Amino acid sequence: MEQKKHWQSFGELTNSEGYQESAKDEFKEDLPVWEDDKGLFSAATPRRDFLKYLGFSTAAAMVAASCEVPVRKIIPFANKPEDIIPGVANYYATTYIQDGEAVSVLAKVRDGRPIKLEGNELSPITQGGTSARVQSSVLDLYDTARLRFPTIDGKETTFENIDAEISKAINGLGNAPIVILTTSIASPSSKDVINQFIAKHPGSRQVTYDAISYSGMLLANEATYGKRAIPSYKFDNAKVIVSLGADFLGTWLSPIEFAKQYAKNRKINEKAPTLSKHYQFESIASLTGSNADERYLHRPSETGAVAVALLNAINGQAINLSDAALKEGVKKAAADLVANKGNALVVSGSNDVNVQIIVNAINEALQSGGKTIDWSSTYNTYQGIDTDFARLVEDMNAGNVGALLIVGANPAYTWFDSARFVAGMKKLKFAVSFNPKNDETTQLCKYVIPNHHFLESWGDAEPKTGYYSLMQPTIYPLFKTRQWQDSLLKWSGASTDYLGYLKTFWTAKAGGETGWDKAIQDGVLNPATVPTPIGAAFNSGAVNGALAAIAAYKKGGKVEVVLYQKVSMGAGQTASNPWLQEMPDPVTRATWDNYIMISPAMAKTLLGIDLNIAREADNYEVTPAKPVVKVTANGKSYSLPVLIIPGVHPDTVGIALGYGRTKEIGKAADGVGQNVFPLASMSGATLSFVATDATVEKTGATYPVALMQTHNVYTTPQGTRTEVMKELTLKEFKKDPEEIRNDRQKELAPFGGLKNFEKEGTIYPYYDKPGIHWGMNIDLNACTGCGACVIACHAENNVPVVGKPEVLRFHDMHWLRIDRYYSGNPDNPKVVFQPMMCQQCDNAPCENVCPVGATNHSSEGLNQMAYNRCIGTRYCANNCPYKVRRFNWADYTGADSFPDNQRGIVNDVVLMMNDGLTRMVLNPDVTVRSRGVMEKCSFCVQRLQEGKLKAKKESRPLISGEDNKWDVKTACQQACPTDAIVFGNVNDSHSAITITRKENELRLFKSLEQLHVLPNVTYLAKVRNVDEVAEKAEG
Amino acid sequence: MHLKYESQLREPLVNGRKTYHDVTEEIIRPIEAKPGKLWYVGFYIAVALLLFGVYSVYRDVTYGIGQWNLNKTVGWGWDITNFVWWVGIGHAGTLISAILLLFRQGWRTGVNRAAEAMTIFAVMCAGQFPIFHMGRVWLAFFIMPYPNTRGPVWVNFNSPLLWDVFAISTYFTVSVLFWYSGLIPDMATVRDRAKTKLRKLLYGIAAFGWTGSTKHWQRIESLSLVLAGLATPLVLSVHTIVSTDFATSVIPGWHTTIFPPYFVAGAVFSGFAMTQSLLLVVRKVYHLEDYITIGHIEAMNKIIVLTGSIVGVAYLTELFMGWYSQSKYEGYTFWYSRANLFSPYGWSYWGMMTCNVLTPQIFWLRKARRNLFITFFISVLVNVGMWFERFVIIVTSIYRDYLPSSWSVYYSPTIWEIGFYLGTFGLFFTCFFLFSKYAPVIAVHEIKYVLKTTGESYKNEMGALEREPVEEFAHEYAH
Repeated sequence: MEQKKHWQSFGELTNSEGYQESAKDEFKEDLPVWEDDKGLFSAATPRRDFLKYLGFSTAAAMVAASCEVPVRKIIPFANKPEDIIPGVANYYATTYIQDGEAVSVLAKVRDGRPIKLEGNELSPITQGGTSARVQSSVLDLYDTARLRFPTIDGKETTFENIDAEISKAINGLGNAPIVILTTSIASPSSKDVINQFIAKHPGSRQVTYDAISYSGMLLANEATYGKRAIPSYKFDNAKVIVSLGADFLGTWLSPIEFAKQYAKNRKINEKAPTLSKHYQFESIASLTGSNADERYLHRPSETGAVAVALLNAINGQAINLSDAALKEGVKKAAADLVANKGNALVVSGSNDVNVQIIVNAINEALQSGGKTIDWSSTYNTYQGIDTDFARLVEDMNAGNVGALLIVGANPAYTWFDSARFVAGMKKLKFAVSFNPKNDETTQLCKYVIPNHHFLESWGDAEPKTGYYSLMQPTIYPLFKTRQWQDSLLKWSGASTDYLGYLKTFWTAKAGGETGWDKAIQDGVLNPATVPTPIGAAFNSGAVNGALAAIAAYKKGGKVEVVLYQKVSMGAGQTASNPWLQEMPDPVTRATWDNYIMISPAMAKTLLGIDLNIAREADNYEVTPAKPVVKVTANGKSYSLPVLIIPGVHPDTVGIALGYGRTKEIGKAADGVGQNVFPLASMSGATLSFVATDATVEKTGATYPVALMQTHNVYTTPQGTRTEVMKELTLKEFKKDPEEIRNDRQKELAPFGGLKNFEKEGTIYPYYDKPGIHWGMNIDLNACTGCGACVIACHAENNVPVVGKPEVLRFHDMHWLRIDRYYSGNPDNPKVVFQPMMCQQCDNAPCENVCPVGATNHSSEGLNQMAYNRCIGTRYCANNCPYKVRRFNWADYTGADSFPDNQRGIVNDVVLMMNDGLTRMVLNPDVTVRSRGVMEKCSFCVQRLQEGKLKAKKESRPLISGEDNKWDVKTACQQACPTDAIVFGNVNDSHSAITITRKENELRLFKSLEQLHVLPNVTYLAKVRNVDEVAEKAEG
Repeated sequence: MHLKYESQLREPLVNGRKTYHDVTEEIIRPIEAKPGKLWYVGFYIAVALLLFGVYSVYRDVTYGIGQWNLNKTVGWGWDITNFVWWVGIGHAGTLISAILLLFRQGWRTGVNRAAEAMTIFAVMCAGQFPIFHMGRVWLAFFIMPYPNTRGPVWVNFNSPLLWDVFAISTYFTVSVLFWYSGLIPDMATVRDRAKTKLRKLLYGIAAFGWTGSTKHWQRIESLSLVLAGLATPLVLSVHTIVSTDFATSVIPGWHTTIFPPYFVAGAVFSGFAMTQSLLLVVRKVYHLEDYITIGHIEAMNKIIVLTGSIVGVAYLTELFMGWYSQSKYEGYTFWYSRANLFSPYGWSYWGMMTCNVLTPQIFWLRKARRNLFITFFISVLVNVGMWFERFVIIVTSIYRDYLPSSWSVYYSPTIWEIGFYLGTFGLFFTCFFLFSKYAPVIAVHEIKYVLKTTGESYKNEMGALEREPVEEFAHEYAH
């Protein structure tokens, strides 16, 4: 039967064009859209809107009343890529690059996304160690502020177009030279690329500019050794280390490498206890100074005088220093150095050529060359000479430069006289920036071709001569970016792209295709044999000149300013990284700001705050609003909040560099702190980050600083809380190795003593712990407090960032923190860093108070959280003696089932962490916790599961550290540059944890052991290499 | 019980020459009349507060507990302080009804109804806090042990928070039963006097078909005795269990064995103070001075000074133990975080000491006990002091516990935290206003019980009788 056609209009009958057009729209007329500016009932059809609202609110109420959450399906691959197994991570060796710094890393890639970096253990330089900045750099890949396409005058364009434009511009330059302004380039192939470009464009040149420069060292070495290079340092060969203001564990030269070396002699063999001796002479409290055995304070203007005094003391001459304590310190350090000739090392963080010449003379006198200083391999990570750049700025202003191609450098922000640089930029014909962000310098450039992130790049690096590290992309470029080497190659008329170039370069070097493949797989290419350290011929000609120059140095003014780098922020390259912004500074424990670091003595005179009085200390500590002080130096003033930090010289203040960035860099950087680079100055041939004549004045204003730890000492009027943390001196330890154990025995005596404590300290029955039982040990002697573990934990466990307003309310979410305690004289105290995370107590106080059993104990000794079960009573956090539990006070992660409850509640930085791009960094193995749920360290249970499965698949027991083989490593352990953290199965007699605990039983302690919570984290007491004389002097 | 003999030395419990009819009239009249202007003003203020509280809670539920100023160290602040405070207030009613009933204290009749109502409303208010302090309140049903398909997953019977759930819900249930069973005869009286059909119907339902038969009276008597027996241990257990919320922890300042008796005493203390504050207003507004006499007030003041001194001893014991234990952690909590006036929360400790221990001592003076103004003033102070006590216990213990690195400060509460607290006041007074409007605030039938033994007129006549020489009495009766 034929289907009858019904029609409503002629159009429909004839199926006219007009009808077809109108049939496309579901509604024939415009919908009565409710306009924003009108109220509900003034809308055209309030009834409909009313019904709409009624329907919506009913539906919303139903959703809120917890109906089923919509099912989101995971669709499997139709064609599975060969090397992607869902749920299994791939690791690719690559290289972290930040300016000159290069660290070999493995990128963990899940389903095509790099989500975590781990140190590459094949690298002899870092030996698997990382730093906080390395750990955090994976987040930079997903930074929303990255430039996403090439631009001309801020307008998007194509690569073809911009290439054509730039070629035209280059051709139009005539004789005006092109300058390639780079940060230090440690990549041999990139250097070739630059040279090729220069060869193609005669008259052009490369200028290397390092924001934090080492030109003082380079020039001093040129003057004394004839080599403009920085030798390798061997802290592991040094029994006595004297650092003149060099923060070698935090920011100086190659901190990961040095921390690794340093820790070797800081770990104690209990049978024959020895310890290297570390003296630090500095002006402000640094991370390295906090780790020193003995620390002496001097004014920044006395840096040269101290170096000279040390040289004189070593040479047995009289020393001339006015400060008695300092003089004593120099004498002592000199005596120790001389006694350990050949096993001693002196380093200086000064950028002053003369000081570095003196330091070279000292090292020469100590015969360090070939022992603790190795000239067989030199650093390529810092090559910039300050005067080169200063000359460039002058050339630019004189109109002698045609174009600037900028690779990584950002002088408009980091150069102290940025106004002059900016003026120079205006005189150029054009400028090209390859910087990945629209930073201060890029904003001045006509052409912008953003560079790849290093995780998207091909490349290589030679951080030290002979040691190569290769880069390979771990993800397809997220945006329309291009490696700068590609651009240069193109503009030099080369026929290959950079990958082809690189491959040719390395195939030749690494020995053919297989060599290249292996190098890329390993990520590193090392010298066949470890070169023996060699010295270099010393030319003492420059020493007298340096002595004379230092003697003529002006005395400092009333107050002096030191501009320092934070472990997290450096020179500000990482300012947009929320993880780093929220990482508490190891020394000040502050986040999200820079501030003026002052001594307790200055606090008393300037602000009238006496920290020795509990009431005044409380008043200062408990409120986050800190007094604002105005610092004036070099004609510039800054009003910044102060933090009173014990261990700062009374006449010196410290301010961190790297702050005061704008929103173009990223939301996290916007408005955080102030830029103090302008306080730097050229002093002779080098840049000086010290202002020796400054004034400070109280302003009366206050400014909140987000501190994570307000209280600094574990001494209370009721006694010293020795159960929290234990420390002793090497002499004490040698005299009575049982001291710590006796201490514990005494604490536990009422509960059965050390031996029977576990069974007798409780009324509950004792349970065996068969099978795997996880445990961790942290050597407080090896821990330098650098914070790499804190950021590794962020990355591994999806720990949310909460932003400054929330940190101010103590809502920080860190699963792992590094507590800092002071002891002794507050003017120059001893510092202890104690990493603190969930102690995974076997008799956990949090577990029995949870009404719903959301936190409970696993058969492997883990105190585990069932997030789904948690209703958020917070009793567990209250009852945790270590205060390591963290509650989701607001919807920090966007994981909540309530929609639209973040805006206005959490700040922009947190929202940024929730956007689609940034969320790509999340580890899919770890639940993203929603609002109202308690969370805490899980001992990286997802990694433990992975390790167990690996062992199971191979039908063997799990190995944790036996013969240095590891099935499991926690993220913090993996990141630690000093191997302070050991983790594993305590029931396995061959595991590293068992052996470590056994070998260090004399120093072993558990924090708050007397509570009988039975923590599974043990610590090794901190041993300081100070003699009793120093102790007495401390009082 | 009305058969008992009461000494002439005791003051009458009902003043004025009241007849049964007078009692009915005077107490039930306010229910039948239109409420006064003051009632409306009060009621609307209460409702407004309640609505503000509802909005505050809405914010807390929608945006998270971050709406409050709690932090990583101080996980409980105003929320649990208010919870314990309200639970404490909820103690007087049942104590008056149950324990005083068992002790045959006649004076309870004047105050028990209002005090019981207060208890119920206070427990209702208290209950809001543990519920809405949860991070995920929509999953609150997880704390109920019920068979489920999740394994099944059971609750953790070791947790004092779970004991709380049982203790408070049991207490609430028994209190409501006790209160309501006492209301039944009075509801019947109101029903019998009702002039409109609606009133008749509603009060008829509320009266559960009470006819006043002897059988009914006998049953209600036994029921109250049974419920009193049940409620008595509850009075002690509820706050004992609330105290274990703290006492079973490891936190110095919480981990204290004297908590159960100390909490119970404190609860009775605050409960009576709240009863005092309310009744002083009620008796004035509803002109019930004859039923809630100075004698009642004095009796309650005696309990206040007793329990206030007990908590005072407890405070001093804590301080002593802080020193005697030689534990640096406890010592710090008690001697620095609390007793040191200049420590960040020293003010709360001394506020507590002043309001709870020092000022109530004035009640050793009979004059003060019988002075309405002083009584009202002190009763308010006691409630302030008891709020401080809970705040001191909760916040000053956890804001500086074991690791100095984690010490923090619980800043001043946010508006939403305060709003939640005000909201419970709104809830409390809304309920109380409705109760005083729709139910007799004094137990009519219980007053009638005692009227003939302790009513002023009867007492006087009985006194006259007692003073009569035996011969005369015999003579009179011979006729």
